[in-house]
Amino acid sequence: MKIQEGSPIITAQGVGKQVMMPGGTLTILEDISFSVAAGERVAIVGASGSGKSTLIGLLAGLDLPSAGHITLAGEDLAALDEDGRARLRGRTVGFVFQTFQLLPGLTALENVMLPLELAGVPEAEPQAAELLRRVDLASRAHHYPRQLSGGEQQRVAIARAFAASPAVLFADEPTGNLDTHTGDKIADLIFEFNQASGTTLILVTHDEHVAARCGRRLHLDAGHLTRDEH
Amino acid sequence: MNINLLSWRFLRRDWRTGELHLLVLALLIAVAATTAIGFFTDRLQRAMLHQSAELLGADIVLQSPRPLDGALLAEARRRGLPETEVLEFPSVVLHGESVQLSSIRAVEPGYPLRGTLRTATTPEGEATETRDLPEVGEAWVEARLLPLLQAQVGDTFTLGHQVLRISRLLAFAPGGSGNFASLSPAILIRRTDAERAGVLSAGSRVTHSAQFAGETAALADFKRWLAPHLTPGVQLRDVHEGRPAVGTALDRTERYLGLASLATVLLAGVAVAMGARRYSERHFDVSAMLRCLGASQRELVGLYLRQLLLIGLLGSALGVALGYVAHLGLLLLLRNLLLETLPPPGPWPALLGFFTGLLMLAGFALPPVLRLRQVPALRVLRRELLPLPLRAWLVYGAALAAMSLLLWRYTGNPALTLTVLSGTLAALVVFGGLAWALLRGSRVLVRGVGASWRFGLQTLLRHPTLAIGQILAFGTVFMAMALVALLRGDLLATWQSQLPAAAPNHFVINVLPDEVRPFDAFLREHHIQGAALFPMVRGRLAAVNGVPVDKRPDYNGDETTRRELNLTWSSALPQDNALVAGRWWTPRDSGQPGVSVEEGLATRLGIALGDTLTFDFGGSEPLTVTATSLRKVQWDSFKPNFFMIFPPGVIERYPATYITSFYLPPTERTLMAQLVHRFPAATVIDLAPLMDQVRQILAQVTLAVEYVLVGVLLAGFAVLHAALQSSLDERLYEGALLRTLGASRRQLRAGHLAEYALLGLLAGLFAAASAEFIAWLLYTRVFHLPSHFQWPLWLLLPPAGALLVGAAGFWGTRRVVDHSPLVVLRGL
Repeated sequence: MKIQEGSPIITAQGVGKQVMMPGGTLTILEDISFSVAAGERVAIVGASGSGKSTLIGLLAGLDLPSAGHITLAGEDLAALDEDGRARLRGRTVGFVFQTFQLLPGLTALENVMLPLELAGVPEAEPQAAELLRRVDLASRAHHYPRQLSGGEQQRVAIARAFAASPAVLFADEPTGNLDTHTGDKIADLIFEFNQASGTTLILVTHDEHVAARCGRRLHLDAGHLTRDEH
Repeated sequence: MNINLLSWRFLRRDWRTGELHLLVLALLIAVAATTAIGFFTDRLQRAMLHQSAELLGADIVLQSPRPLDGALLAEARRRGLPETEVLEFPSVVLHGESVQLSSIRAVEPGYPLRGTLRTATTPEGEATETRDLPEVGEAWVEARLLPLLQAQVGDTFTLGHQVLRISRLLAFAPGGSGNFASLSPAILIRRTDAERAGVLSAGSRVTHSAQFAGETAALADFKRWLAPHLTPGVQLRDVHEGRPAVGTALDRTERYLGLASLATVLLAGVAVAMGARRYSERHFDVSAMLRCLGASQRELVGLYLRQLLLIGLLGSALGVALGYVAHLGLLLLLRNLLLETLPPPGPWPALLGFFTGLLMLAGFALPPVLRLRQVPALRVLRRELLPLPLRAWLVYGAALAAMSLLLWRYTGNPALTLTVLSGTLAALVVFGGLAWALLRGSRVLVRGVGASWRFGLQTLLRHPTLAIGQILAFGTVFMAMALVALLRGDLLATWQSQLPAAAPNHFVINVLPDEVRPFDAFLREHHIQGAALFPMVRGRLAAVNGVPVDKRPDYNGDETTRRELNLTWSSALPQDNALVAGRWWTPRDSGQPGVSVEEGLATRLGIALGDTLTFDFGGSEPLTVTATSLRKVQWDSFKPNFFMIFPPGVIERYPATYITSFYLPPTERTLMAQLVHRFPAATVIDLAPLMDQVRQILAQVTLAVEYVLVGVLLAGFAVLHAALQSSLDERLYEGALLRTLGASRRQLRAGHLAEYALLGLLAGLFAAASAEFIAWLLYTRVFHLPSHFQWPLWLLLPPAGALLVGAAGFWGTRRVVDHSPLVVLRGL
């Protein structure tokens, strides 16, 4: 899905998240407001437990906030039911995770084909093969995730994330499980794909070096948005 | 998205990676086992019915003291069912000076519809099968008639106005009434001769029977049509009812095989449920990722449902094929012992097996697979998120519904279904609670035991619901196996006791009172075991409560009221008889006008305790007595049995002869000649041919039961394997983690052994308790066998459970220490 560059693709208005725990209510996020323009590169940074992953889950519509409103590609997420949000994710969003999240029973090629198959793309296989070639894994297409190194698995995940040409890519600590050198290469790859497809990038990271390569940084501290740095 | 295509692809991928193996294996076992048992029992049952029909001479027989309505025979002809009419009557035959009361059977071409006549040409010659019938003017007679008439083969004798030539000796004729009250020698003639003889006057005691044969479905249809068209006095007999000994054996076998199928279905159900649970759990991540990538709940359900349907269709089809092959193998093993030609396999077992597979998946696999719909998309970020647990009513409701349907279909017996289901449910609930309490209680024990046991026990305690589930699953498997084995033993024992090797094979009647002592001495002298010698007085039941029996409102022409009954007296209740109402005599009752009546006859004639019965002894003064007790008689015991037993001192004044039965080994046939020579007045009847036939049927039944048991045991072990596999992932993961934390291989192995042995021990206890309970229900309610405390269950099952599950678990978890933890952790 293409959204005109410069117009907001994500807005968060007074977003809060609380969970009921046996010992009482735990506040994870409180009163977070910002908007992200199409094509922007945004890094969400903060200490462990500051609520970064929760926020990215809410922005992608994987969960609903306890307070406030989020719009994604012009749709109010709270107004959609779970299936509606799934459809929105299917046509708007790509994901890259810290733990790669490749399906162990599928080969690298099949993992990349998955979003294309779900979208009903008839030529899923050649497209997926082309994406694997772009991440330099054409020769490993028929290997299973457990036969690939961490860096290779993440490259497959990146190919999968861009397979359905998403308008927004959410990346949750994509380099967190990798050594510095491999992490740098993965970051390069994400930025390269992002550049080529004009995708909006929302990236959660601990890595200041990676964060610095984004045009904008949102600082979270104990569930509060403390700084919006352009 | 194209869900059909995607489902197919997913299925192929899952198959390739082994995700489906357990579920498909369980399904295959279920379908193959039920289909194999289905094919086997279907063909064997049809064969046994066929063989029983040979004894009866037909599939259905109508008997009446009056000529049968021609419309009944016309209807059978209209339906294309082979039919024939047989007349049986007692009549006197003459040869020179000799006169002998004989049992005449008059038949027409077409007889016998089932089975084969066997004849010989000389008394010493071997009997051979024949498809002929006596020609008009000829008679085939039982060999024992020859000395009585002082005649030989080829001689002629007179029946009424007709002179008949003895052309062959009759060794076996299907469809004998099996009624030892008419123990006179049999003569087989053509109906034309009977009519010409002029002995069939209106008052004569003729039994008219119409015999029918045909395909099972057509016969069942015909039987339904017959029911409202039968006039009072017409008795319908078929293979199930015709012969008590065979009927009961067949009936029990059918129930047993029903139970065996049911146990297999139960076992397979457990296996499918476990396979599906594992399949579901291993698809949490896939489902979360699919949700994350935009699949709606409906698409997800559609995707899995199609896969499940495909698994069901393919797995069931393959299972049916495997089952068919398995049953062929079984028949091959039994080829020397089974009938030479079994009926060809029918389509029903295949269809039944196929739908069993689908239904089993629907009942046991659908709920856990539907649970995948609930997997939250957020699981991609937070892996610890699980879908909502299934609602208990959905899981148990679906399984229970599938189970009830299957059980009912397989047993065709609501009582058996209800018994097993309610027993299993009650046992599950009670023992689930007990297992929970035991596990809770063992928390305290953990402190006092060795490290390995503590480790094993702690693993169980960490997941109490999983542990209880496994205990119940293993326990159900053991219980089903134990029940099938237990019943097999008791059924076989019951049959053997019913027809022991030394069951009486000869009946002797007409022993004169002054020959009783010498006869008894003769038997003892030659070490021949026999029943007691019972006096026998011939008398007819003339009236009940002063009303002649044929004037009573519920009179239906019952045969027992039209002929003379064999009456006896005895101070003791004969063996094989059981008092069901009233009381047996004390010495004070001697000479008192009382009588003990057989229960079935009392029911048929509407006789109650306290009713007065009047007996007619042919010319003498009638005797009126009061019914003081009702007895249950084991008619198939091959011993003298009586409808009426009087106390001593009541009927002694009437002329009596004595009757007994004994066993004579086939090797001692010369003794028979001596006996006949010494006691010329006595009549000896050889039951051996009939008993051989009954024995042959029981032997086949026994074999079927044994092999079915083996099948059930195999299915049980396969389930055990499936159950272990389904919980293996977690053990492997925990084991790998513990090894990285420094646990030694020995510690881990000992811990696993302790854990599984404990599981097996508790499962064995559960199995013993529930098998005891269900066995009690089955024995008392379904099989009508005496029930007793099954102590071997308690002795055997718990240690066997510990040993089996312990060994299987020990073997199954060897990967935990054989592979590097890294491989295990990454491979999951």
